[in-house]
Amino acid sequence: MAHLEDQRETIYKVDPEHPETKDLPVLRSEELLLNMGPQHPATHGVLKVILDLEGERITKSTVVMGFLHRGVEKLAEHGTYHQFIPHTDRLDYVCAMYNNFAYCRAVEKLMDITVPDRAEYLRTMVAEIQRIIGHLFWLGTQALDIGAMTVFFYTFRDREILLDWFDELCGARLTTSWYRIGGIEKDLPDSLLEKVRQFLDYFPPKIEEYVIFLEKNRIWLARTVGVAVITAEDALSFGLSGPTLRGSGVDYDLRKYESYGAYPKCEFSVPVGKNGDTYDRYWIRIEEMRESIKIIKQCLEQMPKEGAVMADVPSVTLPPKDRVFTNLESMIQQFKLFSQGFDAPAGEIYCGTEAHKGELGFYIVSTGGGNPYRLKIRSPSFIHMGAFDHMAKGYMIADAVTIFGSYDIVMGECDR
Amino acid sequence: MDSGNSRKKFFEAVLFKEIWMAMKVTFKHMFHRPITFEYPREKRTIPDAHRGALGLLRYDNGVERCVGCDLCEAACPSRCIKVLSEQDTSMPLQRIATEFYIDITKCVFCGYCVEACPVNALAMTKVYEFSTHDKRTLMFDKKRLYEIGDIHNEDAKKYLYAHNQEKNDEESRAYRYHFPQPVGKEAEASDS
Amino acid sequence: MAMKPVTSPDAEAVKIELSIDGEPVTANEGVSLYDVISSTGKIVPAMCYHYTFDPFGSCGMCLVIQEGKKSPVRSCTAKAAEGMVIRTEGEDLFAARKKGVEKHLSVHPLDCPVCDADGHCELQDMAFQHQVTDLANAKQKNIPEDTRSLVLDFNMNRCIACGECINICKDVQRIDALQFMKKGGFTQVVAKGDQALDCEFCGDCLAVCPVGAITNKFSKYAYKPWQLKKTTTTCNYCGDGCQMYVETKDTEVVRVTSPLSWKNKWGDRTDTVNGHNGLCVRGRFGFQYIDSKERLKQPWIRKDNALVEAPWIEALDTAAERLKGIKEQYGADAIAGLITARCTNEELYVFQRFMRTVIGTNNLDSSARYGHVNFVRAMHHALGIHRTMNTSADISKAKAILVVGSNITETNPVASLRIKAAMGTFKASLIVVDSMQTNLAKLASHPTMVKPGTEGLLVKGLVKSVLDQDLVDSDVTGQAPQAFDALKQAANAVSLDDVATQTGVSVEHINEIAKIFAESPRSIILCGEGIVRQSDGYHNVLNLVDLAWVTGKLNAEGSGINTVVEEGNEQGAMDMGVAPEFLPGPVPFDDATAKEKFAQAWGHALPVAHDGSTLMDILQGCRDGKIKALYVVGENPLATLPKSYGVDEALGKLELLICQDPFLTETGQQAHMVFPACTFAEKDGTFTSQEGKVQFVRPAIEPLGESVLDWHIFVGIADSMGHTLPYESTQDIQDDIRKLLPGYYNLGQPKNIKADPAAYLSNGYARETPGRYANAGTLGNKVRPVGLKLIQLIYHSGKLSTKASGLMDISPNTKCLRMAPEEVEQLGLTEGGRVRVTSDHGQLELGVEADLAVLPGTCVFPEHFTDPPVKDLVSVELDPVTRVPYFKLVQVSIDKV
Repeated sequence: MAHLEDQRETIYKVDPEHPETKDLPVLRSEELLLNMGPQHPATHGVLKVILDLEGERITKSTVVMGFLHRGVEKLAEHGTYHQFIPHTDRLDYVCAMYNNFAYCRAVEKLMDITVPDRAEYLRTMVAEIQRIIGHLFWLGTQALDIGAMTVFFYTFRDREILLDWFDELCGARLTTSWYRIGGIEKDLPDSLLEKVRQFLDYFPPKIEEYVIFLEKNRIWLARTVGVAVITAEDALSFGLSGPTLRGSGVDYDLRKYESYGAYPKCEFSVPVGKNGDTYDRYWIRIEEMRESIKIIKQCLEQMPKEGAVMADVPSVTLPPKDRVFTNLESMIQQFKLFSQGFDAPAGEIYCGTEAHKGELGFYIVSTGGGNPYRLKIRSPSFIHMGAFDHMAKGYMIADAVTIFGSYDIVMGECDR
Repeated sequence: MDSGNSRKKFFEAVLFKEIWMAMKVTFKHMFHRPITFEYPREKRTIPDAHRGALGLLRYDNGVERCVGCDLCEAACPSRCIKVLSEQDTSMPLQRIATEFYIDITKCVFCGYCVEACPVNALAMTKVYEFSTHDKRTLMFDKKRLYEIGDIHNEDAKKYLYAHNQEKNDEESRAYRYHFPQPVGKEAEASDS
Repeated sequence: MAMKPVTSPDAEAVKIELSIDGEPVTANEGVSLYDVISSTGKIVPAMCYHYTFDPFGSCGMCLVIQEGKKSPVRSCTAKAAEGMVIRTEGEDLFAARKKGVEKHLSVHPLDCPVCDADGHCELQDMAFQHQVTDLANAKQKNIPEDTRSLVLDFNMNRCIACGECINICKDVQRIDALQFMKKGGFTQVVAKGDQALDCEFCGDCLAVCPVGAITNKFSKYAYKPWQLKKTTTTCNYCGDGCQMYVETKDTEVVRVTSPLSWKNKWGDRTDTVNGHNGLCVRGRFGFQYIDSKERLKQPWIRKDNALVEAPWIEALDTAAERLKGIKEQYGADAIAGLITARCTNEELYVFQRFMRTVIGTNNLDSSARYGHVNFVRAMHHALGIHRTMNTSADISKAKAILVVGSNITETNPVASLRIKAAMGTFKASLIVVDSMQTNLAKLASHPTMVKPGTEGLLVKGLVKSVLDQDLVDSDVTGQAPQAFDALKQAANAVSLDDVATQTGVSVEHINEIAKIFAESPRSIILCGEGIVRQSDGYHNVLNLVDLAWVTGKLNAEGSGINTVVEEGNEQGAMDMGVAPEFLPGPVPFDDATAKEKFAQAWGHALPVAHDGSTLMDILQGCRDGKIKALYVVGENPLATLPKSYGVDEALGKLELLICQDPFLTETGQQAHMVFPACTFAEKDGTFTSQEGKVQFVRPAIEPLGESVLDWHIFVGIADSMGHTLPYESTQDIQDDIRKLLPGYYNLGQPKNIKADPAAYLSNGYARETPGRYANAGTLGNKVRPVGLKLIQLIYHSGKLSTKASGLMDISPNTKCLRMAPEEVEQLGLTEGGRVRVTSDHGQLELGVEADLAVLPGTCVFPEHFTDPPVKDLVSVELDPVTRVPYFKLVQVSIDKV
């Protein structure tokens, strides 16, 4: 207590003797500590940032996370590999498909499973649709955070269309759980195929619309150009990935590097920025949506018209349901897989997937048996938040929202 | 950069050209049909595959499908199902689920229980409006689940077809089960 | 049964070399190839194999390639031979094994959803492991389920004819109750002669069944393995201390399983000398009492002559206040405590500390007083040890076993298997001295049937015979010549002819068994309730010590004297010093240094060096008005002791009777306060087996209702009385015990003990021996010619098991006297006939049933049942030294009504 008293004294000591100033409020200059969040509408969930302010400039920022911690990694240790898929839905809850994809890919790598062709195309296609959804969601909310309302309405209108497809595809709009280890839960309904084709024509003009709203808007430019600049070197050393990294001019995209799914069979380019500021990251996301449309188009063209959508590995994948009713061996397979899970070989693997936010990686340690011994999720949101202090230093307090908005953070994934 | 271009830029800036361009787009939208609808009065069409509230199903002859094998309980990632089974006193040696609970507050609607069920006793329906003031009513018991299954039987069947759990033809219902009472088609045959 | 060549301790096996998957392996000759492969750590699938019995070879899965043979060979039935080159892995073998599984699958019913074994099924595992996905020509058997048996259902649709159930029943249990039978075109397992199953219901067949062909009736259709929480704990039905898994679903005990199971099938046959890890009928099927509806869930206090529910806080305060009042008014010795030996060591320890420090009296006793004290006191007196001398491995490897007065198959079924193993595998001679045709007597090489109550006399006869035949180990006796002379002198009082006429065993037979016992390299004595819990039990044990001493079996490797105990932790009760004559250790209570040590550790002076009252004296004290308050924990003297001892009257005179029990017992109904206690399945602690192994007891379920662990109640009352017992967890108590009794928790291994008779032989031996041998008075009674014995049944243990509905289903109270069939005929009785039984203490009318095990001249009644009150016919006799009550035998006359 004593030192607090002292402090107060030093602060208020402005010549109390002087007859003119003795009743005046004290003018002084000092650092201000500002708590932002966790219940702040622009923090995309429950993120808390403690900002040290020098006037309106941020001198230091401390990110406080964990308000949405649900112990997902621990949950994984207590269920079978298969049972963890619905939990991945709730990581980045606005883009569940990509989480499913990343997780299934990791387990497939562990189990050494090759996914059938048609399933690969479908998985890639849906992942790209999910990427568009993710970017639309980002664009809308980022514009909203900065102050542009209209874009939010328009992007959400188009996002709705895509989400409704997911409902038709797997039964849920957000918590999809459509990917399975070794394939996908069920094939694309024919009705949806037609809708996808129509969308390919419908969507590119819409992107132009968003661009009209933002690209030249002076407020948008003022709020994004030259804000939160990070050099390529810094970006790499902070472990950034996705548009946040590519915005700084690093050409790094796992879809090209690892070429999983049907990506190697599709032609697309990876947009790379120059300045490493918020505007470049915005531009990359717009470009990526255009590329995604290309990939979806190619998938539709190249996809085998028929074929299995699930790998035929009896020790891992579920039997077709109708066989369960009539065949003992399939029923045994069904019971073993659901009650005990499949036996994974002992070992550890890491598998990263290029989600729309960046590299979403799953690190699995298996000691054999039906459950992972340890499962670690490398979530891009979490890694990106590590660079927040570095990137926010020297910018205005109003830019804080822009900065973490430009990472496209989702706290479900960040806190896990 | 030539002077004409920079003059153009200057005028564009002074006249707020990009704002006018954007206004044009919004203006166009005034002539679109609204894509929103007024929810409680209008409702969206729910696709067949939709994972809504769970229901328990019966065979066409009214016999409960569930044999209480608890596989749904094992498959559930959120551990929200609880099945108590025992020997059926009315039909000796027949296993039945005496109690069946789904804690809807915990349920994540992943549909694994349906996928796991070896007799297709569970199915999801298009019901999604079950919010309530009393949390306790969200513990669905066997009676409630059969009610849902009975009322939304058609939806439940469509769900099973949509998710490849059952084929929509007569053949597929000829289960080979025999535990120890025959079920499915065999049961109907022995009934008649 | 064929004996495996290496398993006999006397045989020296020939070593051979062979190659498995390119690795050279050394093995014993004649061993199954499968065992050799599994000893290298390789697992070859096999569904019909289990290490506890000889390979059977029916499943066709354990195929390996032997160099030089065209087709794969079955490794389980093939014998390992010199120079074999074996390959256990490969595509071809996988395919061959897959065919084996397919064969079984093709006739298996499609009923995993309703099958109890689902999730714990070897056929499932094998099918999954071998990736069977497409099966041609599957068909079903449609055999109706056999539900005739009391505890097991046989669903032969699911059977894969692996024969594990039959083999374990034949080779390990030696009961042979199951067989294969061709029925309806299929080979099926049926009970002998296709009758309803009639056996000991140990359930080992259920444990080893790799599929769901044999299922448990008591938990049928009630569970799936993944729903159950499995708790490893120790059974408390008898002193064998079997490990078991209590499997629970929330607060409900669904089933009990054993470590013996098809799942752990790999092992060495020689491992079975330490036990086969199975359970008996009580452990496996007698679990229903744990979550029984009859359990007490609230404390009760007597108000206005009726017991009413009361909150714990009030109950504890009232108890403390009244105990305090009585202590102040009449002194600490007006309070006494009794505890059951089914409590854990930790609870027993806290109880004796509570009685000795908080109350300040030495009036405390446990149910070990009903007999086990005799053995402990005798062993302590003679040899300086306080428990059995041998491990179960010693019994398994013995060459001669003398079982005196113990129907061990019924009282300690799992321990009896060691004797059966010694007999079967190692060809031991078995001498059974008993007054009943017990299960073991039927198997024995030398069954010695004596008249009831003369078992002790026969022991004297054996000592005499050994001396007469000069079967003495002169090396041993030479070390204490004076004592040996004294024994010879004393034995002169015994006449073998007298012994022969009184026991009904011929002199030649006595001489023969004495010879076998003395001349075998490893001889073991096993004495039971028939000699320890009957007249002069203390001296009988000392006589057995004499027998072992003169024949040189006291310190010989693998020889010794052993006993069996009825309640789970009687040995623990003695070790924890829950008896007036012992402090924890046990050390004698009058040992001043030990007393000082404990007084210091507990921070409280111990009661002065007077003996304190034992169980019977406490009851006597109650009657005399010396004892005003009695704290009964889990005991039920009212239902246990005969009416003639006046327990009813004694308890009626008390000012305060506190009864602490999971159930409302007869004693509880008379009590002023009743506290709800927990069963072993809710407790955390340890039990000490009769062998001296300290084994963990772990809580499987939360305490039911408001019931509380026993030691919590002791600590609670102490607290209310103003004393602090510094225990907050079982761990605290264990730390305390560890400090005071170093090495007591010895990793579940019995502590090595060495018997040392030197002090005993040189000190006062000569003085006491004549007294032991002199009084060979005549038994028998002309007016009451029949000996009525209270016996234990395999299906029950004490009164506790009568609360287990499963066991009551198997063995209900028939309310019938069991007699030899010929005597039933002589009396001219038919089914449902009744007799009048008269003893000195009264008479009773009851039904009669014929029992082949009962010898003519005797009749028996199970001691577990109090209806009709047969126990009231019996008189109570007290041991002069140990104050052990004898009330298991009485002479009666029987008339037809």
